[in-house]
Amino acid sequence: MMIEATNLTKSFRRGNVETEVLKGVTFSIPHGEFIAIMGPSGSGKSTLLNILGLLDRPDGGTYLLDGTDYSGANDEVRSAARNRKIGFVFQQFHLLDRASAVRNVTLPLLYAEDGGSDGIARAERALDAVGLSHRWNYLPNELSGGEQQRVAIARALINDPQLILADEATGNLDSKSGAEVLDIFRHIVQEGRTLVLITHDQEVAKRADRILTFGEGRMLATNDLRSRPTDAQPGAAAPA
Amino acid sequence: MSRTQRIGRDVLASLLSHKQRAFLMMLGVTVGVAVLSAVIAIGQGTSARVMELVQHHNLDMIMVRAGGDVQVFAPRADRGLSTLFPEDARAIEREIPNIDLVSVTQNKRNVNLVYEDRSAVTRLFGVDPSFSEVRHRPLIVGEFISNADMSSMARIAILGDAVAKTLFPQGDAVGRTIRIENEPYVVKGVFAPVGMAANNEDNQDDRVVIPYTTSARRMLNRPFVEQIVMRVIDTSRIPETAEGVRALLRVRHNIGQGKPDDFFVREPDHVVDAAFQTPRMLFSLMAAVSIVALIGGGLVIMNLMLIAVSQRSREIGLRRAIGARTGDITQQFLLESLFVALVGGAVGVALGLIVAWGLDAAGLVVSRITWVPFVAAVAACTVVGIAFGVQPARKAAHLDPAASLSGRAA
Repeated sequence: MMIEATNLTKSFRRGNVETEVLKGVTFSIPHGEFIAIMGPSGSGKSTLLNILGLLDRPDGGTYLLDGTDYSGANDEVRSAARNRKIGFVFQQFHLLDRASAVRNVTLPLLYAEDGGSDGIARAERALDAVGLSHRWNYLPNELSGGEQQRVAIARALINDPQLILADEATGNLDSKSGAEVLDIFRHIVQEGRTLVLITHDQEVAKRADRILTFGEGRMLATNDLRSRPTDAQPGAAAPA
Repeated sequence: MSRTQRIGRDVLASLLSHKQRAFLMMLGVTVGVAVLSAVIAIGQGTSARVMELVQHHNLDMIMVRAGGDVQVFAPRADRGLSTLFPEDARAIEREIPNIDLVSVTQNKRNVNLVYEDRSAVTRLFGVDPSFSEVRHRPLIVGEFISNADMSSMARIAILGDAVAKTLFPQGDAVGRTIRIENEPYVVKGVFAPVGMAANNEDNQDDRVVIPYTTSARRMLNRPFVEQIVMRVIDTSRIPETAEGVRALLRVRHNIGQGKPDDFFVREPDHVVDAAFQTPRMLFSLMAAVSIVALIGGGLVIMNLMLIAVSQRSREIGLRRAIGARTGDITQQFLLESLFVALVGGAVGVALGLIVAWGLDAAGLVVSRITWVPFVAAVAACTVVGIAFGVQPARKAAHLDPAASLSGRAA
């Protein structure tokens, strides 16, 4: 299993009020699956994504990433795992705004164990995979929103991670750019990677293999779309 | 490339792409280092000038002459007053703490020097090995009198520049045997030329110097000396020191109360410190200003970086997400403040030295440019860069990555 979450809980304290954001969540995701997580704001899906991405630790329960429990690991081990095993894609892209596409894409190599050897070649491959090799030296503000997100995806891919975590990755994009990003996501999954996409957009979620629906800190439903072949056809246009 | 090197390169790229921010951060340090290096250059120039004056005019020397108020000024004859002895010199060396070097001088006028077919008539001095340093009379070639020369009453001689030129026009004096009053002496060294003394009393280059022991036992056959010269350590206390020498000699010479001295203590013609008190005060003031400016520059860096940490919290969160450890973020911000401080310091040294040089050229100050401002700037900037970078770096490293990515961090 790429992800095995068992009875995850997480609370936040704001002032004297403690809010339980995750109230015991259990699910697992095999390697190579494309998962959409849906749910209203405050349902705990972003908190869950932070835990899956080793940016946060659960209060209770266990989380195994590729069979390893990182909950007790130190910052160094968790940082190395984020760098090597996980690629993040964000709604706001989070590109360095004064840095060229290639510098943004190679940023994770700064923190890579292998010292980012052959970084340029890897950046070329990653930009090629998102169809932006011709935008190599462009600054983010010279790129369209869709192109910026594709640079961010290339950044997520440069260390060849097994797991991509995407938080509302199409949320800031027009429908055409969103569809392009989803096509890239589908391609990434076909390469054997696991992809977890948070979205509130039903049409986007339909591109996944399976939809996990969250509400009030619990997983409410899991819906396997592969049993309905019409929705699972690769390349199907995603209406806005 | 190591991880730190990669982070360093990334920091440089980031600073270069945020030139305005980097420039603002640099400004304070640049001003501080500019003042600091100008102060150092001017301070070094001034103290070098003071040293030059001190050495040229013997402003750090006290001289004791034989004979008191009764002595007759007789430039053409040796006075033959037998009141000062080498034991007095050794006692001064021992008893007076503000004096580090003492030399006796015996002298004899109209001494004949011969080398082959050349000859000179000059004045001979018998002195201690410390004479060259006390009188600030360096050699241009050869060596001065040694302790061994003293104990063996060696027949060696140090020639004044004019005498050396008369006897050895080819300049190959050292090692040659000359005759002084018909006795053979080996030339051991030659004094650097001095020119006329300040009082024009005699030509300082027209002389020959031999060990005191040699002059006392082999040449003049008398133990008493004409003068004792001594070097003062702290020139601001010359009057007290001279008074101490006088009191010591009165006791040694058994001079009763009310009786006149049988010697004469001569202080330097000019007082060193009065002339240089103003620049010295200014120097301290400017040094204080430069330190305040440096601390101010450091505070500018710190505050701009603290603001930057807030503004860049998303960047920090992103870096954590893609694999940066807390230590990597600390390094990033420390290297950033260090680079800014060092570049700001480099610009500051250049500016400061240009100002110091310009003021010197305009005749307002004396400045001297050495390696000291550069070393001081590197040291000051490293300290400032690290000391004032620590807090922002710690703040950045301890941001919660999940919160900073979503814009919730401070």
